[in-house]
Amino acid sequence: MPHCQPEQLALAALHEPLPDDDAAHLASCADCRSEVRSLQRSVDAVAVPEFAAPALPVPPPASVWAGIAAATGVTAAPRAEALAAADEPPPVAVVPSAPFPVTPPEDPPAGAAVLPFRSRRPRLLMVAAAAVAGAVVGAGAVAVLTRGDDGESVTTVALDRLGDEPASGRAEVVVRADGSRALQVDLDAPDLDGEYYEIWLIEPDVVDMVPLGVVRPGAQTFEVPAGLDLGEYPIVDVSVEPLDGDPTHSGFSVARGQLES
Amino acid sequence: MTGLLARPVAGLGSVRGVTSDPGPAPRGAVDPDDAEVGRRFAAGDEQALALAYERWAGQVHGMAVRAFGPGPDAEDVTQQTFISAWTGRARYRPDQGPLPAWLTGVCRHKIADAWARRDRQRREAEAAVSEAEAAPSRGSAPGVDTAIADRMLVLDELELLGQPQRGIIELAFFADLTHAQIAERTGIPLGTVKSHIRRTLERLRTRLEVDGAALPA
Repeated sequence: MPHCQPEQLALAALHEPLPDDDAAHLASCADCRSEVRSLQRSVDAVAVPEFAAPALPVPPPASVWAGIAAATGVTAAPRAEALAAADEPPPVAVVPSAPFPVTPPEDPPAGAAVLPFRSRRPRLLMVAAAAVAGAVVGAGAVAVLTRGDDGESVTTVALDRLGDEPASGRAEVVVRADGSRALQVDLDAPDLDGEYYEIWLIEPDVVDMVPLGVVRPGAQTFEVPAGLDLGEYPIVDVSVEPLDGDPTHSGFSVARGQLES
Repeated sequence: MTGLLARPVAGLGSVRGVTSDPGPAPRGAVDPDDAEVGRRFAAGDEQALALAYERWAGQVHGMAVRAFGPGPDAEDVTQQTFISAWTGRARYRPDQGPLPAWLTGVCRHKIADAWARRDRQRREAEAAVSEAEAAPSRGSAPGVDTAIADRMLVLDELELLGQPQRGIIELAFFADLTHAQIAERTGIPLGTVKSHIRRTLERLRTRLEVDGAALPA
Protein backbone atom coordinates (compact mmCIF):
# COMPACT_ATOMS: atom_id res chain seq x y z
CA MET A 1 0.00 0.00 0.00
CA PRO A 2 1.19 3.56 -0.67
CA HIS A 3 2.52 5.74 2.11
CA CYS A 4 0.11 7.77 4.17
CA GLN A 5 -0.64 11.26 2.97
CA PRO A 6 1.46 13.91 4.71
CA GLU A 7 -1.69 15.47 6.19
CA GLN A 8 -2.66 12.18 7.76
CA LEU A 9 0.74 11.81 9.33
CA ALA A 10 0.41 15.28 10.80
CA LEU A 11 -2.88 14.26 12.38
CA ALA A 12 -1.22 11.15 13.73
CA ALA A 13 1.43 13.40 15.25
CA LEU A 14 -1.40 15.19 17.04
CA HIS A 15 -2.49 11.83 18.40
CA GLU A 16 -5.63 11.78 16.32
CA PRO A 17 -6.84 8.31 15.37
CA LEU A 18 -6.39 7.57 11.67
CA PRO A 19 -8.72 5.69 9.33
CA ASP A 20 -8.12 1.95 9.40
CA ASP A 21 -6.07 1.65 6.24
CA ASP A 22 -3.80 4.53 7.23
CA ALA A 23 -3.41 3.09 10.69
CA ALA A 24 -2.54 -0.30 9.24
CA HIS A 25 0.05 1.16 6.95
CA LEU A 26 1.57 3.25 9.68
CA ALA A 27 1.93 0.18 11.85
CA SER A 28 3.99 -1.51 9.17
CA CYS A 29 6.00 1.40 7.73
CA ALA A 30 9.08 2.64 9.53
CA ASP A 31 9.43 5.66 7.24
CA CYS A 32 5.95 6.95 8.03
CA ARG A 33 6.41 6.31 11.73
CA SER A 34 9.66 8.20 11.68
CA GLU A 35 7.91 11.09 9.97
CA VAL A 36 5.22 11.12 12.65
CA ARG A 37 7.84 11.11 15.39
CA SER A 38 9.67 14.05 13.88
CA LEU A 39 6.45 16.04 13.66
CA GLN A 40 5.51 15.06 17.16
CA ARG A 41 8.42 16.76 18.85
CA SER A 42 6.68 20.12 18.84
CA VAL A 43 3.34 18.60 19.78
CA ASP A 44 4.80 16.92 22.81
CA ALA A 45 6.80 19.98 23.80
CA VAL A 46 3.66 21.93 24.63
CA ALA A 47 1.41 19.04 25.59
CA VAL A 48 1.42 19.89 29.25
CA PRO A 49 -1.78 20.29 31.24
CA GLU A 50 -0.61 23.68 32.49
CA PHE A 51 -1.01 25.12 29.00
CA ALA A 52 -4.50 23.83 28.38
CA ALA A 53 -7.20 26.39 28.06
CA PRO A 54 -9.32 27.42 29.72
CA ALA A 55 -8.20 27.22 33.30
CA LEU A 56 -10.54 27.78 36.17
CA PRO A 57 -10.45 31.53 36.73
CA VAL A 58 -8.89 32.69 39.98
CA PRO A 59 -9.08 36.35 40.94
CA PRO A 60 -5.59 37.60 41.74
CA PRO A 61 -5.01 39.57 44.93
CA ALA A 62 -5.06 43.34 44.64
CA SER A 63 -1.30 43.53 45.02
CA VAL A 64 -0.93 42.10 41.51
CA TRP A 65 -2.56 45.12 39.93
CA ALA A 66 -0.57 47.42 42.17
CA GLY A 67 2.60 45.89 40.79
CA ILE A 68 1.40 46.23 37.22
CA ALA A 69 0.45 49.86 37.76
CA ALA A 70 3.79 50.59 39.38
CA ALA A 71 5.79 48.90 36.64
CA THR A 72 3.88 50.39 33.72
CA GLY A 73 3.13 53.78 35.21
CA VAL A 74 -0.45 53.39 34.13
CA THR A 75 -2.79 55.51 36.21
CA ALA A 76 -6.05 54.06 34.98
CA ALA A 77 -7.35 51.43 37.36
CA PRO A 78 -9.69 48.50 37.21
CA ARG A 79 -12.90 48.96 39.05
CA ALA A 80 -12.64 48.21 42.70
CA GLU A 81 -14.69 45.06 42.48
CA ALA A 82 -12.13 43.53 40.17
CA LEU A 83 -9.50 44.11 42.81
CA ALA A 84 -11.50 43.35 45.88
CA ALA A 85 -11.55 39.65 45.27
CA ALA A 86 -8.26 39.14 47.00
CA ASP A 87 -7.47 35.83 48.58
CA GLU A 88 -6.27 37.50 51.69
CA PRO A 89 -7.64 40.26 53.85
CA PRO A 90 -6.32 43.69 53.00
CA PRO A 91 -3.64 44.89 55.41
CA VAL A 92 -5.23 46.82 58.19
CA ALA A 93 -4.27 50.35 59.09
CA VAL A 94 -3.39 51.12 55.52
CA VAL A 95 -2.54 54.70 54.95
CA PRO A 96 -4.78 55.55 52.00
CA SER A 97 -2.01 56.39 49.60
CA ALA A 98 -2.39 53.34 47.41
CA PRO A 99 -2.62 54.19 43.72
CA PHE A 100 -6.00 52.58 43.33
CA PRO A 101 -9.13 52.24 45.39
CA VAL A 102 -8.62 49.34 47.70
CA THR A 103 -11.26 47.79 49.81
CA PRO A 104 -11.47 49.76 53.01
CA PRO A 105 -10.20 47.83 55.99
CA GLU A 106 -13.64 46.99 57.22
CA ASP A 107 -14.25 45.00 60.36
CA PRO A 108 -13.00 41.52 59.80
CA PRO A 109 -15.54 38.76 60.21
CA ALA A 110 -15.36 37.16 63.61
CA GLY A 111 -12.54 34.67 63.80
CA ALA A 112 -10.93 35.76 60.58
CA ALA A 113 -7.20 35.57 60.62
CA VAL A 114 -6.22 39.17 60.17
CA LEU A 115 -2.53 39.59 60.66
CA PRO A 116 -2.06 43.29 61.11
CA PHE A 117 1.69 43.37 60.86
CA ARG A 118 2.23 40.99 58.07
CA SER A 119 1.97 41.65 54.42
CA ARG A 120 2.63 39.37 51.54
CA ARG A 121 3.79 41.03 48.38
CA PRO A 122 5.50 39.66 45.31
CA ARG A 123 9.11 40.63 44.90
CA LEU A 124 8.45 42.61 41.80
CA LEU A 125 5.96 44.74 43.59
CA MET A 126 8.44 45.62 46.26
CA VAL A 127 10.93 46.74 43.67
CA ALA A 128 8.35 48.57 41.67
CA ALA A 129 6.83 50.11 44.70
CA ALA A 130 9.85 52.31 45.14
CA ALA A 131 8.60 54.16 42.12
CA VAL A 132 5.36 54.96 43.84
CA ALA A 133 7.04 57.36 46.22
CA GLY A 134 7.18 54.92 49.04
CA ALA A 135 3.43 54.57 49.04
CA VAL A 136 3.63 50.92 49.85
CA VAL A 137 6.63 50.71 52.09
CA GLY A 138 5.16 52.94 54.74
CA ALA A 139 1.67 51.70 54.30
CA GLY A 140 1.58 49.73 57.49
CA ALA A 141 2.67 52.55 59.71
CA VAL A 142 0.37 53.59 62.46
CA ALA A 143 1.04 56.08 65.18
CA VAL A 144 0.03 55.29 68.69
CA LEU A 145 0.44 57.10 71.92
CA THR A 146 0.59 55.01 75.01
CA ARG A 147 2.28 55.39 78.32
CA GLY A 148 3.88 52.46 79.97
CA ASP A 149 6.65 51.72 82.37
CA ASP A 150 9.21 51.74 79.62
CA GLY A 151 8.48 55.22 78.45
CA GLU A 152 6.14 56.85 76.03
CA SER A 153 5.62 55.23 72.71
CA VAL A 154 5.72 57.85 70.02
CA THR A 155 5.34 55.77 66.94
CA THR A 156 4.89 52.19 65.86
CA VAL A 157 5.74 50.80 62.50
CA ALA A 158 4.93 47.48 60.91
CA LEU A 159 7.91 45.67 59.48
CA ASP A 160 6.58 44.21 56.27
CA ARG A 161 8.19 41.23 54.78
CA LEU A 162 10.23 41.72 51.61
CA GLY A 163 10.30 39.14 48.90
CA ASP A 164 9.88 35.55 49.88
CA GLU A 165 11.49 35.76 53.27
CA PRO A 166 9.03 34.93 56.01
CA ALA A 167 10.20 37.75 58.25
CA SER A 168 7.97 40.47 59.58
CA GLY A 169 7.24 42.24 62.80
CA ARG A 170 6.86 45.62 64.35
CA ALA A 171 9.03 48.32 65.77
CA GLU A 172 8.11 50.94 68.30
CA VAL A 173 9.97 54.10 69.21
CA VAL A 174 9.69 54.91 72.88
CA VAL A 175 10.91 57.97 74.74
CA ARG A 176 11.94 57.38 78.31
CA ALA A 177 11.48 59.79 81.18
CA ASP A 178 15.08 60.95 80.85
CA GLY A 179 14.57 61.81 77.20
CA SER A 180 16.54 58.89 75.82
CA ARG A 181 14.96 56.86 73.07
CA ALA A 182 14.73 53.19 72.35
CA LEU A 183 13.49 51.08 69.53
CA GLN A 184 11.49 48.11 70.71
CA VAL A 185 11.46 45.46 68.06
CA ASP A 186 9.30 42.39 67.83
CA LEU A 187 10.57 40.21 65.04
CA ASP A 188 8.67 37.23 63.71
CA ALA A 189 11.18 35.30 61.64
CA PRO A 190 12.77 31.89 61.45
CA ASP A 191 16.02 31.20 63.26
CA LEU A 192 19.10 31.42 61.11
CA ASP A 193 22.06 29.15 60.87
CA GLY A 194 25.43 30.72 60.11
CA GLU A 195 23.81 34.12 59.57
CA TYR A 196 22.12 36.65 61.79
CA TYR A 197 19.55 39.40 61.62
CA GLU A 198 20.60 42.98 62.04
CA ILE A 199 18.43 46.02 62.48
CA TRP A 200 19.13 49.34 60.82
CA LEU A 201 17.77 52.85 60.56
CA ILE A 202 18.12 54.03 57.00
CA GLU A 203 17.56 57.31 55.23
CA PRO A 204 14.94 57.43 52.47
CA ASP A 205 17.33 57.21 49.57
CA VAL A 206 18.94 54.21 51.19
CA VAL A 207 22.51 55.47 51.18
CA ASP A 208 23.29 56.36 54.76
CA MET A 209 22.32 54.06 57.55
CA VAL A 210 22.82 53.49 61.24
CA PRO A 211 23.16 49.94 62.57
CA LEU A 212 21.35 49.38 65.83
CA GLY A 213 22.52 45.88 66.39
CA VAL A 214 21.95 42.20 66.14
CA VAL A 215 18.36 41.14 66.46
CA ARG A 216 16.95 37.70 66.98
CA PRO A 217 13.39 36.50 66.51
CA GLY A 218 11.28 37.74 69.40
CA ALA A 219 11.14 40.99 71.36
CA GLN A 220 14.19 43.14 72.07
CA THR A 221 15.03 46.74 72.76
CA PHE A 222 17.71 48.81 71.06
CA GLU A 223 19.11 52.13 72.06
CA VAL A 224 18.60 54.92 69.55
CA PRO A 225 21.72 57.10 69.44
CA ALA A 226 21.14 60.42 71.16
CA GLY A 227 20.76 63.23 68.68
CA LEU A 228 19.90 60.96 65.77
CA ASP A 229 17.10 62.55 63.75
CA LEU A 230 14.59 59.81 63.07
CA GLY A 231 13.04 62.01 60.43
CA GLU A 232 16.28 61.65 58.49
CA TYR A 233 16.50 57.92 59.09
CA PRO A 234 12.90 56.81 59.03
CA ILE A 235 13.30 53.36 57.50
CA VAL A 236 13.50 50.50 59.94
CA ASP A 237 15.20 47.66 58.12
CA VAL A 238 15.97 44.09 59.06
CA SER A 239 18.76 42.45 57.13
CA VAL A 240 20.32 39.03 57.08
CA GLU A 241 24.07 39.26 57.62
CA PRO A 242 26.58 36.54 56.95
CA LEU A 243 29.23 35.82 59.56
CA ASP A 244 31.92 37.34 57.37
CA GLY A 245 33.27 40.08 59.58
CA ASP A 246 32.05 42.74 57.20
CA PRO A 247 30.23 45.41 59.23
CA THR A 248 28.35 46.88 56.26
CA HIS A 249 24.82 46.05 55.25
CA SER A 250 24.67 42.81 53.29
CA GLY A 251 22.09 44.23 50.93
CA PHE A 252 19.80 41.39 51.83
CA SER A 253 16.81 42.92 53.57
CA VAL A 254 13.98 40.72 54.72
CA ALA A 255 11.57 43.12 56.42
CA ARG A 256 11.10 46.82 56.43
CA GLY A 257 8.87 49.61 57.60
CA GLN A 258 8.93 53.38 57.58
CA LEU A 259 8.46 55.58 60.61
CA GLU A 260 6.01 58.38 60.19
CA SER A 261 7.61 61.74 60.63
CA MET B 1 -8.17 36.03 11.83
CA THR B 2 -11.45 37.63 11.37
CA GLY B 3 -13.99 34.96 11.60
CA LEU B 4 -11.86 32.27 13.07
CA LEU B 5 -12.58 33.05 16.62
CA ALA B 6 -15.56 35.25 16.14
CA ARG B 7 -17.71 32.60 17.70
CA PRO B 8 -17.27 31.75 21.31
CA VAL B 9 -14.29 29.52 21.66
CA ALA B 10 -14.02 28.36 25.19
CA GLY B 11 -10.59 26.93 24.57
CA LEU B 12 -9.02 30.18 23.62
CA GLY B 13 -10.42 32.31 26.30
CA SER B 14 -12.36 34.66 24.15
CA VAL B 15 -15.42 34.17 26.22
CA ARG B 16 -16.72 36.65 28.73
CA GLY B 17 -18.33 33.80 30.59
CA VAL B 18 -15.04 32.82 32.11
CA THR B 19 -13.86 36.19 33.23
CA SER B 20 -12.78 36.91 36.72
CA ASP B 21 -16.00 38.47 37.88
CA PRO B 22 -17.44 35.94 40.21
CA GLY B 23 -20.57 37.87 40.98
CA PRO B 24 -22.93 40.15 39.22
CA ALA B 25 -20.90 43.23 38.53
CA PRO B 26 -23.27 45.28 36.47
CA ARG B 27 -21.61 47.10 33.66
CA GLY B 28 -22.86 50.28 32.21
CA ALA B 29 -24.03 50.32 28.65
CA VAL B 30 -21.06 52.49 27.77
CA ASP B 31 -18.60 49.69 28.42
CA PRO B 32 -16.63 48.89 25.30
CA ASP B 33 -16.98 45.35 24.04
CA ASP B 34 -14.03 42.96 24.10
CA ALA B 35 -12.99 43.75 20.55
CA GLU B 36 -12.98 47.45 21.33
CA VAL B 37 -10.88 46.82 24.43
CA GLY B 38 -8.44 44.92 22.22
CA ARG B 39 -8.19 47.73 19.71
CA ARG B 40 -7.68 50.35 22.41
CA PHE B 41 -5.13 48.14 24.14
CA ALA B 42 -3.12 47.88 20.94
CA ALA B 43 -3.40 51.62 20.50
CA GLY B 44 -1.93 52.23 23.94
CA ASP B 45 -5.04 53.42 25.75
CA GLU B 46 -4.23 52.98 29.43
CA GLN B 47 -7.86 52.51 30.31
CA ALA B 48 -7.85 49.45 28.08
CA LEU B 49 -5.16 47.86 30.23
CA ALA B 50 -7.35 48.35 33.26
CA LEU B 51 -10.36 46.95 31.41
CA ALA B 52 -8.37 43.99 30.15
CA TYR B 53 -7.28 43.31 33.70
CA GLU B 54 -10.85 43.54 34.95
CA ARG B 55 -12.05 41.06 32.40
CA TRP B 56 -9.22 38.59 32.02
CA ALA B 57 -6.93 38.74 35.03
CA GLY B 58 -8.91 35.93 36.61
CA GLN B 59 -8.38 33.73 33.62
CA VAL B 60 -4.67 34.48 33.40
CA HIS B 61 -4.22 34.03 37.12
CA GLY B 62 -6.16 30.79 36.96
CA MET B 63 -3.57 29.43 34.56
CA ALA B 64 -0.74 30.66 36.73
CA VAL B 65 -2.27 29.15 39.85
CA ARG B 66 -2.80 25.86 38.08
CA ALA B 67 0.88 25.81 37.17
CA PHE B 68 2.37 27.00 40.45
CA GLY B 69 -0.33 26.84 43.08
CA PRO B 70 -1.63 29.95 44.79
CA GLY B 71 1.04 32.30 46.08
CA PRO B 72 3.86 34.59 45.04
CA ASP B 73 5.03 32.51 42.06
CA ALA B 74 1.63 32.54 40.41
CA GLU B 75 1.18 36.20 41.27
CA ASP B 76 4.51 36.98 39.63
CA VAL B 77 3.43 35.18 36.47
CA THR B 78 0.13 37.06 36.31
CA GLN B 79 1.84 40.35 36.98
CA GLN B 80 4.53 39.68 34.40
CA THR B 81 1.94 38.63 31.86
CA PHE B 82 0.12 41.94 32.00
CA ILE B 83 3.28 44.02 32.22
CA SER B 84 4.77 42.20 29.26
CA ALA B 85 1.54 42.37 27.28
CA TRP B 86 1.37 46.09 27.86
CA THR B 87 4.96 46.91 27.07
CA GLY B 88 4.84 44.54 24.08
CA ARG B 89 1.43 45.64 22.86
CA ALA B 90 2.89 46.55 19.47
CA ARG B 91 3.03 42.83 18.83
CA TYR B 92 -0.68 42.42 19.43
CA ARG B 93 -2.74 42.70 16.26
CA PRO B 94 -6.42 43.13 17.03
CA ASP B 95 -7.39 41.89 13.59
CA GLN B 96 -5.50 38.66 14.28
CA GLY B 97 -7.50 37.51 17.25
CA PRO B 98 -9.10 38.44 20.52
CA LEU B 99 -6.99 39.99 23.25
CA PRO B 100 -7.72 37.32 25.90
CA ALA B 101 -6.38 34.62 23.59
CA TRP B 102 -3.23 36.66 23.12
CA LEU B 103 -2.90 37.22 26.86
CA THR B 104 -3.24 33.49 27.35
CA GLY B 105 -0.33 33.00 24.96
CA VAL B 106 1.77 35.53 26.86
CA CYS B 107 0.91 33.75 30.09
CA ARG B 108 2.11 30.43 28.66
CA HIS B 109 5.41 32.13 27.86
CA LYS B 110 5.73 33.41 31.39
CA ILE B 111 5.01 29.98 32.81
CA ALA B 112 7.60 28.43 30.50
CA ASP B 113 10.08 31.16 31.48
CA ALA B 114 9.56 30.40 35.14
CA TRP B 115 10.09 26.71 34.54
CA ALA B 116 13.26 27.40 32.58
CA ARG B 117 14.53 29.65 35.34
CA ARG B 118 13.93 26.97 37.94
CA ASP B 119 15.58 24.40 35.77
CA ARG B 120 18.61 26.62 35.31
CA GLN B 121 18.88 27.27 39.03
CA ARG B 122 18.62 23.59 39.74
CA ARG B 123 21.35 22.82 37.23
CA GLU B 124 23.60 25.53 38.55
CA ALA B 125 23.14 24.19 42.03
CA GLU B 126 23.92 20.68 40.84
CA ALA B 127 26.92 21.91 38.91
CA ALA B 128 28.20 23.70 41.98
CA VAL B 129 27.80 20.56 44.01
CA SER B 130 29.54 18.36 41.49
CA GLU B 131 32.32 20.87 41.15
CA ALA B 132 32.73 20.93 44.90
CA GLU B 133 32.93 17.19 44.88
CA ALA B 134 35.47 17.50 42.11
CA ALA B 135 33.74 14.84 40.16
CA PRO B 136 36.13 14.51 37.24
CA SER B 137 33.71 13.91 34.47
CA ARG B 138 30.02 13.81 34.30
CA GLY B 139 30.04 14.70 30.65
CA SER B 140 29.15 18.26 29.79
CA ALA B 141 25.57 18.62 30.87
CA PRO B 142 23.50 20.52 28.36
CA GLY B 143 22.66 24.03 29.51
CA VAL B 144 19.00 23.40 29.66
CA ASP B 145 16.59 20.53 29.57
CA THR B 146 15.62 19.65 25.99
CA ALA B 147 11.91 19.54 26.70
CA ILE B 148 12.05 22.94 28.36
CA ALA B 149 14.03 24.44 25.49
CA ASP B 150 11.69 22.90 22.92
CA ARG B 151 8.71 24.31 24.74
CA MET B 152 10.08 27.85 24.60
CA LEU B 153 10.93 27.50 20.93
CA VAL B 154 7.47 26.23 20.04
CA LEU B 155 5.79 29.04 21.96
CA ASP B 156 8.06 31.52 20.21
CA GLU B 157 7.28 30.14 16.81
CA LEU B 158 3.55 30.08 17.48
CA GLU B 159 3.72 33.79 18.04
CA LEU B 160 5.17 34.28 14.62
CA LEU B 161 2.36 32.41 12.93
CA GLY B 162 -0.30 34.32 11.10
CA GLN B 163 -3.96 33.53 11.11
CA PRO B 164 -5.74 31.29 10.64
CA GLN B 165 -2.75 28.98 11.15
CA ARG B 166 -2.12 30.07 14.70
CA GLY B 167 -5.71 29.76 15.81
CA ILE B 168 -5.99 26.34 14.23
CA ILE B 169 -2.87 24.91 15.80
CA GLU B 170 -3.70 26.42 19.18
CA LEU B 171 -7.08 24.73 19.11
CA ALA B 172 -5.33 21.46 18.35
CA PHE B 173 -2.59 21.96 20.97
CA PHE B 174 -4.37 23.61 23.83
CA ALA B 175 -8.06 22.93 23.41
CA ASP B 176 -7.43 19.33 22.36
CA LEU B 177 -9.81 19.52 19.42
CA THR B 178 -9.63 17.16 16.46
CA HIS B 179 -9.23 18.63 13.02
CA ALA B 180 -12.91 17.89 12.35
CA GLN B 181 -13.93 19.78 15.47
CA ILE B 182 -11.66 22.66 14.50
CA ALA B 183 -13.25 22.81 11.07
CA GLU B 184 -16.67 22.81 12.61
CA ARG B 185 -15.73 25.40 15.21
CA THR B 186 -14.09 27.80 12.81
CA GLY B 187 -16.08 27.21 9.65
CA ILE B 188 -12.84 26.60 7.77
CA PRO B 189 -13.08 23.67 5.31
CA LEU B 190 -11.76 20.36 6.58
CA GLY B 191 -9.12 20.03 3.87
CA THR B 192 -7.82 23.52 4.60
CA VAL B 193 -7.57 22.79 8.31
CA LYS B 194 -5.60 19.62 7.59
CA SER B 195 -3.14 21.29 5.26
CA HIS B 196 -2.62 24.16 7.71
CA ILE B 197 -1.92 21.68 10.48
CA ARG B 198 0.57 19.83 8.30
CA ARG B 199 2.40 22.96 7.26
CA THR B 200 2.48 24.35 10.76
CA LEU B 201 3.90 21.15 12.22
CA GLU B 202 6.55 21.16 9.50
CA ARG B 203 7.41 24.72 10.34
CA LEU B 204 7.70 23.90 14.04
CA ARG B 205 9.82 20.87 13.23
CA THR B 206 12.18 23.02 11.22
CA ARG B 207 12.45 25.53 14.02
CA LEU B 208 13.29 22.82 16.52
CA GLU B 209 15.82 21.21 14.19
CA VAL B 210 17.52 24.52 13.51
CA ASP B 211 17.45 26.09 16.97
CA GLY B 212 16.80 23.21 19.29
CA ALA B 213 19.16 20.75 20.83
CA ALA B 214 20.00 17.73 18.72
CA LEU B 215 18.08 14.74 19.89
CA PRO B 216 19.90 11.50 20.52
CA ALA B 217 19.72 9.49 17.35
